[in-house]
Amino acid sequence: MEIDSLREGFDRVAEKRASSSAKALEAVDHIVNEVEQAIVKLQMMNTDSTGNVDHTAILAELKAKLNEMAPINQLEGSQKELNIALSKYLKLLEKSFNPDISKAYRNVDFEVHTVNNIIANHFYRQGLFDLGDMFVRECGESGGASLKLPFQEMYSILEAMKARNLEPALSWAANNHDQLLQNGSMLEFKLYQLQFVEILSKGSRDGSKDEAIQYARTHLVPFASVHKEEFQKLMACLLWVGRLDQSPYSELMSSAHWDKLAEELTHQFCSLLGQSRESPLSVAVSAGFQGLPTLLKLTQVMAAKKQEWQVMKQLPVPIDIGPEFQYHSVFVCPVLREQSSDENPPMRMPCGHVVSKQSIMKLSKSSSRPFKCPYCPSEAVASHCKQLHF
Amino acid sequence: MEMAIDTPSPAPPTPPTPSAAAGRQTRAAESVRLEHQLVRVPLEALRSTVRSNNRLAEKEIAAALSSASAAPAESSAAAVDHLTSLVSRLHGLKRKMEEGARAEEVQVQRCRARLDRLASASTGEDAEWEDMRLKRILVDYMLRMSYYDSATKLAETSGIQDLVDIDVFLDAKRVIDSLQNNEVAPALAWCAENKSRLKKSKSKLEFLLRLQEFVEFVKAKNCIQAIAYARKYLAPWGSIHMKELQRVTATLVFRSNTNCAPYKILFEQDRWDFLVDMFKQDFCKLYGMTLEPLLNIYLQAGLTALKTPLCSEGSCPKEDPLSLEGFRKLAEPLPFSKQHHSKLVCYITKELMDTENPPRVLPNGYVYSEKALQEMAKKNDGKITCPRTGEVCDFSECVRAFIS
Repeated sequence: MEIDSLREGFDRVAEKRASSSAKALEAVDHIVNEVEQAIVKLQMMNTDSTGNVDHTAILAELKAKLNEMAPINQLEGSQKELNIALSKYLKLLEKSFNPDISKAYRNVDFEVHTVNNIIANHFYRQGLFDLGDMFVRECGESGGASLKLPFQEMYSILEAMKARNLEPALSWAANNHDQLLQNGSMLEFKLYQLQFVEILSKGSRDGSKDEAIQYARTHLVPFASVHKEEFQKLMACLLWVGRLDQSPYSELMSSAHWDKLAEELTHQFCSLLGQSRESPLSVAVSAGFQGLPTLLKLTQVMAAKKQEWQVMKQLPVPIDIGPEFQYHSVFVCPVLREQSSDENPPMRMPCGHVVSKQSIMKLSKSSSRPFKCPYCPSEAVASHCKQLHF
Repeated sequence: MEMAIDTPSPAPPTPPTPSAAAGRQTRAAESVRLEHQLVRVPLEALRSTVRSNNRLAEKEIAAALSSASAAPAESSAAAVDHLTSLVSRLHGLKRKMEEGARAEEVQVQRCRARLDRLASASTGEDAEWEDMRLKRILVDYMLRMSYYDSATKLAETSGIQDLVDIDVFLDAKRVIDSLQNNEVAPALAWCAENKSRLKKSKSKLEFLLRLQEFVEFVKAKNCIQAIAYARKYLAPWGSIHMKELQRVTATLVFRSNTNCAPYKILFEQDRWDFLVDMFKQDFCKLYGMTLEPLLNIYLQAGLTALKTPLCSEGSCPKEDPLSLEGFRKLAEPLPFSKQHHSKLVCYITKELMDTENPPRVLPNGYVYSEKALQEMAKKNDGKITCPRTGEVCDFSECVRAFIS
């Protein structure tokens, strides 16, 4: 789409609008002018007693002048120009955009309270608590409020981190020590590490050194065997107390660590809550924006079969949406062009190529007779093919 | 199905897939084309402001002209008085027109802001842009559902007032509220304001409002007035809507508590809800909006694209919106998407497996991405533990699988 040509089209509209409204004001000014002149003449006639001008003549002259001006015609002319520019621009919009995106809409009832609960949940998990409360009040649904408290806790931890206060984050991580470990997350250690570096890079040399050592003894030692390398690095930092920025480890002070850790914390927090990392509403709507163009094209092609479109169980064509929306492994047998299933699972031939079980049975005709792989010159025997699990 | 599998072609060349980035960009450009409503609504609002300003100017100027020519001719003093009051009236008109022009200017700016917004979208992956887009769509939803306070708050706190149409919907709210209070006057005024365009789209709204007013007279047992009303306001519609007109005028012989079905419904209170719906439809059409909230349209498309038979299984990952009950419920009446090509997601990293991160098969037949296995091997002295079966093997035992 050419945004520039749209802008040009709209500039014309704006220009014609401005000139039309200026012309209208001008017309009023002209009328005022003429009327005022007539008033002056009438007043002069009063003082001038020669009496050779008749006031009816002045009024007639005013009338004639106003008629000659024909202000209404002028207005109509400039309005017409504006209307032409407008309808041209409207046509351009119709051409540049999809004028009716509801063509692919299936007429089904979207249960209002389900949608409202999804929205309320979305607001809470985005940290928009006041808005969420207001929305819940206005729409009268309360099912979405369950996420409010946990996400309030998460956002207060993140707020504190922004103010360089790690205490709430550390206490949360300590409380969820086991689950974090199970998730294979190093979050807790990384938080202690950040706090340790923070102590080292702040304050006077001697005071902070003692404090740092004390801190390392209580909090870092338990992780020493698991994160050996990092632990050693951190201990070496003690040599540069107060001037860590000049050490080979200055990278540890980068504020990027804070951002990354905040992200990791969000991730783990959601994971422990059993929530996805992204708001599901954002995901579904983004997928909608990517998928809708294809759906609209499809309905256009199927225009004659509108009834069929409303009831079909599976789309006849794939919808191309980004890889970020792929949550499930799908195997489509390249020979049969069919999606695999429990009855027809994917099989790997000894050469490494994968086709479906049915294809192999068709190719081999018996389990012991060798057959040629459809993708390379090597031969395979059905009994040597192995079922895969994705 | 007839398949030429007896003479398989040697390794078919994989079709040149456009790079992921290019795909993303075309998709982004395609989604911008969906934003018709974003640019259309403020333009319609501008159009209607311009129209009513023009109407005012024309009417007042014509009145001024006739007033100027009708100046009393008896004495010059009377003429001066008359003309002086005309001048002050014209000054008043000018002030009103200037005010109107300022209102137009605000709407011009709004139209521009929308174009600027779309221009900034061309790059593709932009989380901030997508977030704003979702917010716009949520404001649209809340305005249509009459959650005005939440809509306003969301627009204000995210600074997107120029990108949403709160004033347009507040205008509609006046009409909707009055209809809910069983008043037709504001709705009729709205019809009069947009008369020519409603006529062009063959709107029945005004006729329906008139019918309702007629029925209200009948309900109040005010038959004489009802007949007079019908003569004046219903008769002109006779040529287009004769059948309905006949049916409604027949209510004259019934009481409002009649059990005669075709007339009973005409007396019912929910006719007002029907009028609200009809008004909403015409209102949306007039402004070039979709009849459904944008949110519903995009959610439906998104859920269709995401819906696979695998989503209903217990192992559906929580990142998939369709793992949640609410989304599943919404997706129930929607079709499944279809896949033409294999797409494999690594069980461990949840990343797509492709040529850069190919799938590898453990001796037990379970498949994981190379990256995930390398990572695991690095940490465990080359040993791999299958996360689904617990079997242990050596990284070197994991073989490549070629998926086309």
